[in-house]
Amino acid sequence: MELNRRRFLGLTGAALGAGALGKPSRVSAARAYQPPPDAYGCLVDLSVCVGCRKCEQACNQVNHLPEPERPFDDLTVLDDKRRPGPEAFTVINRYYTGRRDERNQMAPTFVKVQCMHCQDPACASACIVGALTKKPNGAVHYDVDKCIGCRYCMVACPFQIPAYEYHDPLTPRVRKCTFCFERISKQGGKPGCAQVCPVEAITFGKRSELIKLARQKMVDDPGRYQPYIYGEKEVGGTSWLYISREPFAKMGFLKLPNQPMPHLTETIQHGIFSYMWAPLSLFALLGGAMAVFNRKRDQGEDKS
Amino acid sequence: MSARRKKFLTVWMVGVLLGLGLVLYAYQGPVSANPAAPAAPKPFDPVAAAKKWNKPPPPPPAKENPDGTPWVPVDQVAALKRAHEVPPLVVKTSEESQRQRRLRLGDKMPKLADMKHPYLVLDNPMVNKDGDLYEAVRFMHKKHAAVLEGQCFTCHHAKPAAKDASETTRCVACHQNSFNPELPGRLGLKAALHRQCMGCHEKRKQGPVGCTDCHAKKVPDHRKLVKLPDKPGPLEVTKECLRCHQDAANHLQNAAHWQWKGPSPFTVEGEKRIDMGKATNTINNFCVALPSNWPRCTSCHAGYGWSNAEFDFNDQSRMDCLVCHDTTGTYSKVPTAAGWPFLQLDLKKIAQSVGHPSRKNCGDCHFQGGGGDAVKHGDMNGILYYPSKSCDVHMGGMDFACQECHKTRNHKISGRSLSLPVAEGPRTCQDCHTNKPHNGNSLLDHHLNRHVEHLFCVTCHSPVYAKCRATKTWWDWSKAGHKERKPKKDRYGMPDYDWKKGEFLWKESMKPAYAWYNGKVERVLLGDKIDTSKVVDITKPVGGFRDPASRIYPFKLMEGKQAADAVNKLLLVPHLYGPGGFWATIGKTKTPVPDKVIDQAWNKAFAKGMAESIKVNPNNKGLKPYSGQYQWVQTRMYWGLTHETMPAKAALGCAQCHESLAKDKTCCRCHKDERHVDFKKLAHRGTDFQWMKKQGRDVHELIGKTDYLNFKALGYKGDPIVYGGRLKKLPLASTIDRECK
Repeated sequence: MELNRRRFLGLTGAALGAGALGKPSRVSAARAYQPPPDAYGCLVDLSVCVGCRKCEQACNQVNHLPEPERPFDDLTVLDDKRRPGPEAFTVINRYYTGRRDERNQMAPTFVKVQCMHCQDPACASACIVGALTKKPNGAVHYDVDKCIGCRYCMVACPFQIPAYEYHDPLTPRVRKCTFCFERISKQGGKPGCAQVCPVEAITFGKRSELIKLARQKMVDDPGRYQPYIYGEKEVGGTSWLYISREPFAKMGFLKLPNQPMPHLTETIQHGIFSYMWAPLSLFALLGGAMAVFNRKRDQGEDKS
Repeated sequence: MSARRKKFLTVWMVGVLLGLGLVLYAYQGPVSANPAAPAAPKPFDPVAAAKKWNKPPPPPPAKENPDGTPWVPVDQVAALKRAHEVPPLVVKTSEESQRQRRLRLGDKMPKLADMKHPYLVLDNPMVNKDGDLYEAVRFMHKKHAAVLEGQCFTCHHAKPAAKDASETTRCVACHQNSFNPELPGRLGLKAALHRQCMGCHEKRKQGPVGCTDCHAKKVPDHRKLVKLPDKPGPLEVTKECLRCHQDAANHLQNAAHWQWKGPSPFTVEGEKRIDMGKATNTINNFCVALPSNWPRCTSCHAGYGWSNAEFDFNDQSRMDCLVCHDTTGTYSKVPTAAGWPFLQLDLKKIAQSVGHPSRKNCGDCHFQGGGGDAVKHGDMNGILYYPSKSCDVHMGGMDFACQECHKTRNHKISGRSLSLPVAEGPRTCQDCHTNKPHNGNSLLDHHLNRHVEHLFCVTCHSPVYAKCRATKTWWDWSKAGHKERKPKKDRYGMPDYDWKKGEFLWKESMKPAYAWYNGKVERVLLGDKIDTSKVVDITKPVGGFRDPASRIYPFKLMEGKQAADAVNKLLLVPHLYGPGGFWATIGKTKTPVPDKVIDQAWNKAFAKGMAESIKVNPNNKGLKPYSGQYQWVQTRMYWGLTHETMPAKAALGCAQCHESLAKDKTCCRCHKDERHVDFKKLAHRGTDFQWMKKQGRDVHELIGKTDYLNFKALGYKGDPIVYGGRLKKLPLASTIDRECK
């Protein structure tokens, strides 16, 4: 059998593929990640939010972020769609979804954007130094002392949340909502945004309770809400949950798979490296190939 | 080129050159166009003026009642005390639906008359703990109940499960701390209030929904924010303020308190003008007008150094932030120094304790207008720094700051007056109290609410003005100058004479003059021709008996004698204050002052005053230089009365105006005789002048009055109950003469 370059690559690929797919059940069972059972969460009721930006202001204060260019009571800021960044961990965006009020005016819906604090966070999975970790209280916590600035988390995040201090050449940090980790670690502590919200559009509590509460709200006020809790199942569930009067797709919410993001990547990675079988088989393959080539060459030399 | 053509061109060019030369020769620049302009005057020296004044800054007004007891805004204190109570948390609420609740209660539904707390302050420490950005909200509980027509359950939506619990349990009983894990879904107090208020306001498209429509913003502590050297000058302070508040300066630059002029939408024939105001062309019968008297008058300007016509209103560095925003109560301007403050003040400390204006900040100018306390406004004087509830129910009972009614946006302050043309926004009592302000839902309220179309609230709710301190009602300039005349004290202890100003009359607890007023004002301005043979109305309300937009308003009539140009028939502006002014000239003369000297001093003062007026109003065609002959004319100004509203029970009663009711014993004049209605209680209550007299007020003549407004003078045939109203006859007018049995 003549082994050219194409055939070699094909064989290798097949071997790797077989390795990856060969025993999926066993390998995924090896990824025994369980989200924290007693985690906190926040339920955002978009039908209540009035777009006052007080959450942005509170976030700025409790996290000691720099003064914004335009003050927080300037609501014209809402004319543009914004993203959270290194200087604002949360932003409010305004959407006109087509809903009209009693006066036939376009009624706005305000959407708070911040880190969703995934139950099974892709950023933490991607982080090669363990600077990002999911804490038992629900926060996806960033440890600046461990971070090496590779920014894999930014690539990994399905919600595109982590931001980087590009303006700081010496000690840049990855910046994102902290879920007020220090505050909620204390008894009775609440995240800054939830605490300040004048209408309790954000409810802070145990995630499991919040899902129950969201369902109850839908039962109590039929027709008010879309029958869907965004964040309950998305990417394996998030600590921040949303319920809304309008369809989520109209307000910039991404359609994401229910499977946690790390599921696929970690399955492949962990699959490849379990029991060192992939490197071993690669070397075995290479050894075998070498043996075949050597034998052929020896035979050729004999002929001459 | 032909010789003929060459010659023509040459002549033509010479002509053009000559013309150009002539134009250049005639043009001397915009400033020097006025041939009368003297050489640049000496710059005003504020330090010299302050030293010459030679008095320390006045201390802050004492926070006490006239008898020396500490001042307490009774209603506000009671409301705050109640607001700070935290009753035990109600865990379980009744599961009844609203419908079941109504059925169960039947006739026992809570009623408006059952309301115990008509005024609340929404201020609970529990709320402030979760974010302390705003001041507490005043809540007109009874008004809201009245607007909802007594549907208490609109807000009191749930009842505690306990059988004996009140149907109208207060909000804080159920809504306390947010995110209580025991009660998931139960709103915290802050959210419950916001959702209830904003939800209802939005649903009904009525009532405020913006943050600052209900709340005032809390002012952050400026002690760390303000960075100043020790003993800073006023200009340094302004510079430091503007470091962060450049927007505020931009706003103030176009506001009336800086420009002293502005849009005058309510002045007849001035509706579209934006140049009227004290800075330019208004005139009064107090110290008459600003031109030539700047340093004295502009001690009330929110700026520094407006001492002549050349003041630069684009120079933001001269804005005086502290005069309105000082919270220490110590900031004060030298009365003669063009707006510069006293030298002794610790401006650093004052700048570090800035905040929202208080009655002190506004009052220092607005209570003290016309050269002293209670001189100008009939309804505003130093009493209002800390008034009793019976003097002013808003400021005394509930501790209102001025801007709580005079809502301010971008340094433009709502409200208007008759005395000045500038208006920066509307403000009426009805904005808060609605068009049906008598909301007790009783028979009497129904009748009273019909009065709103014809009467301004204060007409009944403050039957006398200057009720706590005497105000000036007569000012005769023609008597001024006699230094030898000794002023006498009148019965209020006020002087009847001042050689600088002339002769005065003062009156305390004065019955207002009533007139129809639809909001427009006729004014005599600088340069307006007057009829010197009659009393000149410098300001006069517009309105009439047959005008549906007019209502009966109370006014202070300020009358006096002032100078007019006998030839040009214009009101004259005297140069009173400053070098060469009337006061300086007479001040230098030995007593007794001969009439001739006074005459000469006036002539000099008018010449200078009119020259400066022309300088300020270059486009005013009517203004003419002083002719050299003056005469004294009697003038009159109407001053609207809007403050000093008394508690509701002290308002005028039915029988105090409607003579016909005075002798009645039942409502039978119009209604079928219903003996269970206590007519006496309804119609015969009212302002208790007897009690006021006991309190030392000068109301002797008003006791027992039965035609308080004087209907005939207002255009009615007589008491409208007898003769019918102005726009329609009362339906039962024909039966008025039937005998009551």
